[in-house]
Amino acid sequence: MKKIELQISVAEILLALALSAHAQDFPAEQIKQGADTYARHCAPCHGVRMKNPEGAFDLLTFPKDQDGRFRNSVAKGKNSMPPWESLLKPEEIDALWAYVVAGEKK
Amino acid sequence: MKKVLVGMALCMLGAGVQAQTQQELTRDGNGGSTDNVLTYGMGYHQQRYSKLDQINKNTVKRLVPVWSASLGNEYGEQGQPFVYNGVMYAANVKRVIAIDIGTGRQLWNYDIEWDPAVPRVVCCGLNNRGVALFDGKVYVAALDAHVYALDAKTGKQVWKSKIAEWKEGYSITSAPSVVNGVVMSGMTGGEFGVRGFVVGLDAQSGNEIWRRHTTPDPTEKAYSTWPQDDSYKRGGASTWITGSYDPELDLSYWGTSNGGPWTWKARPGDNLWVASVIAIRPKTGEIAWHYQWTPAETYDFDGNNENVLGDLTINGQKRKVLMHADRNGLMYVLDRATGQVLAGNPYVKTNWATGVDLKTGRVVETDVAKRLRAGEQVEIEPRWTGGKNLMPMAFNPATERLYFSMLEETAIYQLNKDLPEYKPGERYMGVTNTTKDRDTTKPWGYWGAVLPMTGKPAWRTPLMDLPSWSGAMVTAGGLVFTGNTAGDFAALDEATGKVLWQFKTPSGVNSQPITYTYKGKQYVSVFSGLGGGTSARRETAGKVLPAGTVWTFALIE
Repeated sequence: MKKIELQISVAEILLALALSAHAQDFPAEQIKQGADTYARHCAPCHGVRMKNPEGAFDLLTFPKDQDGRFRNSVAKGKNSMPPWESLLKPEEIDALWAYVVAGEKK
Repeated sequence: MKKVLVGMALCMLGAGVQAQTQQELTRDGNGGSTDNVLTYGMGYHQQRYSKLDQINKNTVKRLVPVWSASLGNEYGEQGQPFVYNGVMYAANVKRVIAIDIGTGRQLWNYDIEWDPAVPRVVCCGLNNRGVALFDGKVYVAALDAHVYALDAKTGKQVWKSKIAEWKEGYSITSAPSVVNGVVMSGMTGGEFGVRGFVVGLDAQSGNEIWRRHTTPDPTEKAYSTWPQDDSYKRGGASTWITGSYDPELDLSYWGTSNGGPWTWKARPGDNLWVASVIAIRPKTGEIAWHYQWTPAETYDFDGNNENVLGDLTINGQKRKVLMHADRNGLMYVLDRATGQVLAGNPYVKTNWATGVDLKTGRVVETDVAKRLRAGEQVEIEPRWTGGKNLMPMAFNPATERLYFSMLEETAIYQLNKDLPEYKPGERYMGVTNTTKDRDTTKPWGYWGAVLPMTGKPAWRTPLMDLPSWSGAMVTAGGLVFTGNTAGDFAALDEATGKVLWQFKTPSGVNSQPITYTYKGKQYVSVFSGLGGGTSARRETAGKVLPAGTVWTFALIE
């Protein structure tokens, strides 16, 4: 009985790991592209490599399950942040999301 | 002849009713009516000094708010109110408002419209620092690089003039200045590969009279300080703080920003007139002289901080000088007729330079600067935001002291190996810069009184919990008015720095107080509204929320 319980919990852990791996399953190339876009357009306010933001949202704390909110904020603007949709292509915003989720150690 | 006389009579009549004349502008803060504050800096000299003394060290405890009004803006209030004939004109990035001084009630509002994408080309907060008043009109610049003339009575637009294309990185945050019928405006965009300039517009029509670029083209002598290519076209030197003006010399003094891109490796040379002061003729834009604060600028040490004009006693002689506390950490005194540098000494911790060699007039860089230029990552003091940023200082001609908020932080800074690619309207930097973690036992900065010739403090008060990005004002009542990012608006004893009075406004005070009289009584007004700078969010850690208001104070009987 004890063994079964143990097996279940191991399975749960494996499942949880698999889910979390899935969430971070962005191609390295896409993360790199996001990092480049970030460094050019975002770092001046959100901080170099998302560390120590001066005047803007701390992206290291951005909820990783809210990609819709992220995309909308970047495209349409939020608070002091201007809309970027006329400059950044949708795939560039995708890459930024990949970088925000998986690009830096939290 | 008759027509001319009738015309002159009509002009004079107009002046008597609602216009601000050139004489009123020249005498503002300079022997003119204390009922008015007509110019940025409380006088063309930008001394931010008032001879009013009803509110003084003894009476200030009776200072109370008499009215407050919303400024309808959450982006931050960095500006100065202006007053003419009992009406206050308040501007921010979203609007210009006229308010009746007696009641605090709004007379009119003018919304300044701009494309929501414009902030992409604004580096450091969505700001508007004020208006200019002349001949019955209110002049204001918009974030998208336009200048407007409004009817002072009604707020209706008289003309609108496009100064530059925002999509190419140009914007305007500064107040215009009017001299002899010419509306001068600076611009900003030093982080976006712009070519800086000051523009002169006809006050009546808005038509451009002249445009003085602040990097030289190949026909000009100063071009020898640039690579012999077209890098001057993206070389920065923006002009984002209103120039002061000496009517006797007929010279207007404008500071210029960092170079473009930030890394000097893209533009080897001293790069005139980057990080400089230029003395220009308001009629033509001609440069009479220049002085470069930071040659071969690569630190983001904009040289825009205000150039305050006053008289200093130097070796027993009164000299007509220009005083300037640069972002680079040095306090400069220049002969304002010739541009000769008379002093250049650190006023905060400064490790990239020791001061100015008065024989050569050139700043002396240290090993830190040499290592940075060689490609090393170095710690730089002051940080790129400067020992002092845009928050203006006040000068008391009686004490010959300057009063202002100082900043002390350390940058971790490196020039990138790869030069940045220029794309119109996009960031053009080429450095990696972060802020060194603060030692919380050390202050963010100071409120202080500084001696212009030495840079040394007469007194200074460490600011431990929050820094101050507030402008200062000094009065003959022995008081220095200033504020902090928590929203405290304070009156300090000018002799000691002791806080004699303070009032908590709703949001941060990072603006520019004024004082004036209304029906014989002294008033003080200031904007509250966190924002404006690049660091407000980090510094306040979410403990101060934005919201723009104006507050007006007077003594209770």
